[in-house]
Order: sequence, then structure tokens, then C-alpha cells
Amino acid sequence: MSLLSKLEETLICLKAGRVTLPYPAQARPLPENFRGRPIFDATKCIGCAGCANNCPAREILVFDVCQEIRILQYLGRRCTYCGRCADVCPEKAITMSQEFENATNRIADLGQKLDIFMSTCQRCGRCFKGAAALEELKMKGYRSDDIQNERWIYRAHAFLESEPAVDDIPIELD
Amino acid sequence: MDGSVIWRIVGGVLNVGVVLLIAPLGQGVLRKVTARVQSRQGPPLLQPYFDLLKLLGKEDIESGETPAMQRFAAYLSLSTVLAVACLVPMGFVTPMNGAADIILLIYLLTLCSICTLLAGLAAGSTYSLIGASREMMSMITLEPLLAIALIVGAVHTGSFRLDTVLNGSVYQVAGFPWSGLIMLAVMVLSFQAFVQRVPFDISEAETELMEGPLMEYSGPKLALFKYALMAKLVVYSALFVRMFVPWGSEFTFPLAGPVFWVMFWAKVFIVVLLVTLVAATHARYRIDQAIRFFAGLCAVALGALVLASYGF
Amino acid sequence: MIAREMFEAFKAKFGPLIERADMPSDRRLFVYVDRSAVQFVCQHVFRELDARYVATIGTDDRPFSGKFLVAHNFAFDKDHVLCSVLTQLPENDPKIDSITKMVPAASWAEREMRDLLGIEPVGHQYMKRLVLPDGWPEGHHPLRKDVPWNEVPENYNPDSEFTFDEAPAGCTVVPFGPFHPTLDEPAHFRLYVEGEMVRGCEYRGFMVHRGIEKLAESVMSYNDIPMLAERICGICGCVHSVAYVQAVEEAAALKVPPRAEYIRTIMLELERLHSHLLWVGLACHIVGFDTLFMQSFRIREPIMWIAEKISGNRKTYAICLVGGVRRDITHEIKAELRLVLDKLEAEWRAVVSAVSQDRNIQKRTCGVGVADKSLVKSVGLLGPVARSAGVEIDCRRDHPYAAYDRVEFDVITAQSADVWGRLIVRMNEVFESIRIIRQCLDKMEDGPLQLEIKDELPVGRMGLSSVEAPRGESHHFVITGENNRPRRWRVRAPTYQNLQGVPMMIKDQQIADMTISLGSIDPCFSCTDRLETVDLRSGTTKVWSQKQLLELTWKKTREETKTK
Repeated sequence: MSLLSKLEETLICLKAGRVTLPYPAQARPLPENFRGRPIFDATKCIGCAGCANNCPAREILVFDVCQEIRILQYLGRRCTYCGRCADVCPEKAITMSQEFENATNRIADLGQKLDIFMSTCQRCGRCFKGAAALEELKMKGYRSDDIQNERWIYRAHAFLESEPAVDDIPIELD
Repeated sequence: MDGSVIWRIVGGVLNVGVVLLIAPLGQGVLRKVTARVQSRQGPPLLQPYFDLLKLLGKEDIESGETPAMQRFAAYLSLSTVLAVACLVPMGFVTPMNGAADIILLIYLLTLCSICTLLAGLAAGSTYSLIGASREMMSMITLEPLLAIALIVGAVHTGSFRLDTVLNGSVYQVAGFPWSGLIMLAVMVLSFQAFVQRVPFDISEAETELMEGPLMEYSGPKLALFKYALMAKLVVYSALFVRMFVPWGSEFTFPLAGPVFWVMFWAKVFIVVLLVTLVAATHARYRIDQAIRFFAGLCAVALGALVLASYGF
Repeated sequence: MIAREMFEAFKAKFGPLIERADMPSDRRLFVYVDRSAVQFVCQHVFRELDARYVATIGTDDRPFSGKFLVAHNFAFDKDHVLCSVLTQLPENDPKIDSITKMVPAASWAEREMRDLLGIEPVGHQYMKRLVLPDGWPEGHHPLRKDVPWNEVPENYNPDSEFTFDEAPAGCTVVPFGPFHPTLDEPAHFRLYVEGEMVRGCEYRGFMVHRGIEKLAESVMSYNDIPMLAERICGICGCVHSVAYVQAVEEAAALKVPPRAEYIRTIMLELERLHSHLLWVGLACHIVGFDTLFMQSFRIREPIMWIAEKISGNRKTYAICLVGGVRRDITHEIKAELRLVLDKLEAEWRAVVSAVSQDRNIQKRTCGVGVADKSLVKSVGLLGPVARSAGVEIDCRRDHPYAAYDRVEFDVITAQSADVWGRLIVRMNEVFESIRIIRQCLDKMEDGPLQLEIKDELPVGRMGLSSVEAPRGESHHFVITGENNRPRRWRVRAPTYQNLQGVPMMIKDQQIADMTISLGSIDPCFSCTDRLETVDLRSGTTKVWSQKQLLELTWKKTREETKTK
């Protein structure tokens, strides 16, 4: 009978009590492997651009300023928080943080930029991937036994100081 | 003149004032209880006051076919409900006792429903016309129920005076009050339609018709309609209490019966709670199902009227 | 081998009309027929062999074979075979006989083929634009290989208005959508109404067409696409990503490790749980019963939490890759999942027992939105809509995938073919899903999660995959290609077929029942509209801004009432 079913339904409702959570007054605890905003650690990054190649949304851009300087820019606008970049990074430089409250009215807030100094081979002067972050640090800015190299480094400095040129990276790829 | 005129004015102001003050609170209780039944927290009790204030502060946009008629319908809706409030004794003698009778009450109650109709027709958009037509159809079968209840009371007591009829007159027979109990059952089954709540809020079905007749309303005009809806809940509940459960809140001359006054409002509060619980636990009916239902109730009510005329 | 037997039967019947056949496994049959024989073969398959129509796919194969390719896919549910009837069309004359007269279910698919590829179905009775907006110039077919993915044709007119059909005499026109509080997604049903009764309707959709298939073919790679596929739908994301990876795995003959299959099954069933619970709540909200809406959502919430624990997100799990899954289900999560399921089952039983006796809801849903067996067969309705009419089709049993061949479950049917039947079917499927998840948790083997794929995937192979989404069968068709991306990817969501049945379901019903009838197929317009469009970033930001859509609706409404 309908009345009985209505009473049953009311009982279900009242037994449940009040389930409204006090968010945002109180923060909500998140599970460990929650996929929030990816955080890029420049000290660990070796500039392999594996993240950029595997990002489904093409939100990580790579720009080679010169032989030794590579700029990786995570734009963050279309990021789907899938975590593929973190999966493929060989140095575990990307962590999926627990940040999900990412609303902002300034798009630049979402971006992260990494300026990576790529190590160069002593013999041929071309870049190679450093074995560990520590080795990268050792070589930074101190290799100048090659006039050509030195010139590149200085040029890179000048280039980097004029910030706007670097920020104007065009978005369209392919 | 004599005290009666002063009393009329004071009493009218008192009735209207109390209804205006309490109506949003009634709505707040309704929303809070609904939320608790749905396992939610619900808005604060005073939220409808803020909602009305917010709406009143908005820009008055003229949309719809006949803006002048829309404005008129908005004003008319709140004023008719408040006029009915003046006619219902709320814990003390009604201010309009000698000046009006239950026939006027019936007319004014019908006028309340016609305002929604006017609103829908004046707006002129497809959905509001559909809503207006639904309102018209349900009005035809619904309004007679209340009218018959009042007339049964009039038949029993032999008078049309407000304080006589609106004092549990349906039960005032020599033997067992058959007609009274039948009318009580009829009113209980159809009360949700009078106050426009689920399962019978068909003309303003939000999910089907996008608010129906009120679709083209916004800002202050919408505030008036919402206020009228809230006031309707309180006034109809008061009417129901006065007609069917008047014991314990006999009215006497004012100030001599504050206890009765409090009892009266407690009963109104209970009626509001019951309306909320039924609204929270039912799905909305379709217009043809509702009309068939009311038509059946009409037949039963007419039967009660026949019994009443024979003294049962 | 069942497919071989079928092929022998075909050869016996049609003889020289068959050019070639591929049987990559005993459940798949690809038959190449001559252009002139398509109607004949499809009629035989649909009517005499009583197959179920699945999808029609057009492909621009000109860079590789110099021809267009059209595939009509059918399913033999009892024999567990998916069959595809393919035809090659010369590039200067892409015309094919329309099969819509015999198979009404193919109506939209052929219109779409015409819009996006320029393949003309000759003899189609209702050749109106389906996918492309009206201002799109003729001759510019976005899915063709020579058209870049981000090109907007110069003579595209964004302000052109849609030309509606003539309303039948004596009927008012009630516009339902694209902006309506009940629909979460845009769709436009132009109802022809007499009083309160609906006499007919015209549907205009594809307003959230996002260009997913073209993107997949042009700029994405095999392992990027599951992330895209997940976002085809707001509720059945996992279904699409699993269907896609399965199609690729079938095409490339990859064998997924068993643990990954069990994990995929668990995620699919979790998705079914939360989708059905959401739907029950939504259906009650549509009929005005907000309390059950709130309660369903309250009961559903723990599923979202456990999904977040497993995959990192409440809904977009991002868990499938070609060859396996990305995340594991640990012992702690298993224990917690069991607790969640127990609690869910207890609460849901209480709700089901209360709702089954509820005459108030029955009054609003019995006899409403009726789609009987013959409509199910001719229009190809799927999922709970078909099962509520007594047609027992379920891809999990008929075309087993992932770990479904190792678990036991029942296929729930009803006989009433109306909204009430669908409500009962969906409510009871929740219990079957819980049963499946429990069996998976018990039977899950240890092992690797991902297949190591050392070589590039073979090129030019076809893969079909049918996955049972909460709404019905979701069918994906993949042709593998070069450059680490597919050559063609076609998604046929269940709502695509179910929407074609809605005009018949709402005929001669009241307006008030329109919403619940539409809601009973559990429409997912983003699933339906996922096809080709142009990335308008280079031009304007959107085809229709919301403001423009709203203005159009109000304008049309006022026009309609003025001319009334």
C-alpha cells in the first residue's frame, strides 16, 4: 500500500540523519593517491621532455633557447590531471599533489616554468642527459673552455633577461 | 465613531501584519524540515526573508507580452491573500465580522487562484500559457471543495456570518457529524493543492514547465508572487484550523485570550509541518490524474452537502 | 568455429557478391561485399538472420587504398559474434545504397556519414543535416583526410538559423530545450502539441560536438586517447576508455594480463553502480520526488569515495592504457571496498522494497514512454530500455570482454516496456553489479598490471569492441595506423541509438511525460555528440555562446506564440 511505502521511505531518510559535510569550512581529507595539480621539481628534472611528449592535452611545452638551455613550461589550463607526466618521468620529478582548489582569475597562476640547464659533453659540446641531478649542478655555468660555448652562455643570459620574449611562446604546436 | 470601527482597523492591521511577518517563517520551516527529511542541512530558518529582500532589490525587467497586466497580477496576488487574512479569525474575533460574510470569503479565495492564471496569460510565452491552462483546469475542480466545506458549515449553523461559520461549524449537528467528517477527509486529501505543494503543484512544475505561469517574472514582481505563496500557506492553514480543529483556540475579545491565540498558532504550525512532510514524501501527479482525483472528491463533497441539508 | 560457419553460410547464399572475408577470431567476422550488394546482404542479415544492428561507420581510406570504406556492423547476440559488412567505394563516386528502409536504426548513422565524410546514402528518406550546423558550407567534410583538424571554412556562417520542418496542422509548437532545467545537456526537441498531448517531435542535437574522432586521428597517440575517451561522457567515462583500448588490443592481437582484466571489470561495475544510483535519483527528481533524489545521492556517495581511493579521482579514473591498467587495487582497498558494498547493498534493498510498493511513483511512470519489442528491434534500442521490454541483450553475457566470462551474473529484464520497467531493471542491476564486484575481488589473480609492448603496433588492422555501458552497448571501431595513432576511431554510444526511439516513445503522450520519457533512456548527450567538429580556437571561441543559444530559444518561443 502506498502509505506504507511512504512511511518506509521516511524511515530510511530519518535513519540516515544529516549527512551534509562542513566543507569548505573544514577541509576534506583526501586519499593518498589523489590526482591533483602536478608539481614540477626543477632540481630533479633532466629535460628529457618525456612529460611533454605524453601529455594528452599538450599542456607541457618545450622550448630550446640554445644548446644548453631548455625551458619546460606547464601551462595548466587544459590539464586533465591524468598523471601521465608523473608516470613517465624517469627522475620522478613530477608529483601529483593534493591541490584541487585551483580556481583563479589569472591564468598565469596555473603555470609552472622550469629553466633547465642541459649538461654538454666535454668532447663534442652537445647536450646529453645527466646521470643525476647532482652532476648537473656541478657543471652549471662553469664550463667555458670552449669559446663557442661561452658565447652561447652569454647569449642565453641576455635572452633570458628579456623576459617577455620567453613568455611569448606561441601556443599552437604540430 | 464607536470602538468597532477602531477595532476593525486595528484588527485588520494586526491580522495582516502577523501574516506578513509569519509567512516567510512558515516557508523557512517548510524548507528546513524538507531538508532534514532529505538528510541535508537545509537553509537557515530566516532565509525566505533574505530571499524576498534580495528579489525586491533587483531590477524590474519587463518581459512577456503584457507588462501592465503582469504588474497588476503581481499586486493582486498579494493583496487578495492579505484580504482573506483579514477575514479569518486568527485567535480573536475577525475584524470584518459584520462587514463581510463567507460568500465574500469564497470569492476572494477564488480570486487568489485567478491571479496565477492572469500571470500566465499576461506573460504569453508557451510554457506560461501551458501553466495557465493547467491552473485553470485544476481550479475548476478544486475551488468547489472549499466552497462546499464552508457551505456545509453555513447549512448547519443557518448563518453566513464569519465568526459563526469559521468556528468548527461543520460539526455542529445534533447527532454524529457525518458531513463534517467527510468534509474533513476531503479537505485533508486536497489541502496540498490549495497551498500549491507537491503532489499537486502542477501548474508550477519546475522540472516540466520551467516554473509555468511565473516564468516571465523576476525581481520585485516575483517577490510579490513568492510572498503571496508563502502567505497562502499560512492563511489556508489558519482557515483549515478554524474550520476543522477550532477547539482550544476559541476567540474572545482581544487581550483576554492570549492562551487561545498561542494555541491557534501552534495548531497552524502543526498543519504546516504536515504539509511539509507530505510534500517531501510524494511525487508530483499529472494534470489529468489530479483532475480525476479532485472530481471524485467533488462528488463526495456534494454527497456531504446533501447529508448536511438533511441534518446529518 | 562459429564465425567460419557463418561465413560458409554467407558464401553459400551470396556467392560472387562477397569479395573477401577476415576472421581474426571465432567471434569476429569482416565480410567485404560489392557496392551493389550492400542492401541485399544487410537485409538478409537483419531480417532473416535476425541480427541486431549496431553501427554504420564511414572511413576515408583514400591515402591508403584510394577508396572510401563503409562498414555496417551487426551483432549476433546468441552466437556471440560481431559481424561487419564492409564496402569499398571509389573516390570519385562515394555513393552507397541506404539501408535505412530495412534497418530504420541506421538513419542517423547514414546522415552523419553524409555530413562528415560526404558519402551519400542513396534513398534515405530524411536527408537533413545531423551533425554539422546549417551555416556550414557544402562540400567541406571535416572527417576527410585532406581536411586539417583545426580548419574553419571561410564561408562558414555562424549566424544561420536552423530550418525546422513544418508543424502538422492544428498543433502548437512547444520548444523543449536547448535550455531546460531538467536536461543537463543541450538538446532541442521541437514538440508538436495538441492541448496537452504530444503528436510528434523534431530533434535537433549535436550541439556539444567536440571533434574527438578527428583529434584522435590527427594529433593524439594511442596512449593519449584513453584520457580523451574518458571525457566523452560525464558518467560512463571508464566504459569508453575500456572499449577503445579493447578495440586496439583486438586489432593488434595483444593479450592483457588477467589481473588487469579483473581491475577493469571492477572499475566498470563501480561505474555502473554510481550511474544507476544517479539515474534513479534523477528520475525521481523529474517526477517531483526530491526526497528520493537526495537519498539516492547520499547512498551513492561512498562509491565515489572508494573510486577516488582507487584511481585518484571520483569519476575520471584514467586507469586504462593499451595493454593493461595503471593502478593496482591493494589489500586495504579491497577490504574497504567490501565494506562499502555491504553497506550499499543493505541500504539499497531498503530503498528498492519501499519504491516497488510506491503507487505514487507508479502512477507517474506506468504506461509512460512505451517502447515495445518491435520498436526495440527496428530502431535498435539498447540497454535497460530494451531489457525493460523483455528483450534480453547484454554485452557482458553476449560478447564477453575483460573478466566477464569468469563471473556469474543474471541479466535483469522486465516485461512492461515503460518507464516503470526501466526503473525496476536499473534498481535490480545494482545488486548484480555488487555480486560481480564481489566475485572479482575473490577471484583476482596476482600478476603484472601492464603488458610490455616492445614493438610498434601493426598498421591497418581493424578491431571491434562492444562494452555494456550503464545505458546500453557502447561500440568502438578502430583501424590502427601509422605514427602511433589510429587511422579511424568511431565511437557509437548507446544514447545515439536510444535517442532515435524517443520521438516514437513520446507520441500521443502528455507534455508532462515528455521529460520522464526522455529521462528514462538515461540520455547522455555528450556521448552522442562526440563526433567531428572543428577546434574553433583559431576563429571564435565557441560555435554558439550560451547567450546566443538562450536568445535563440527565447526568440523562437516569442515567434511561435506571436504566430499562434
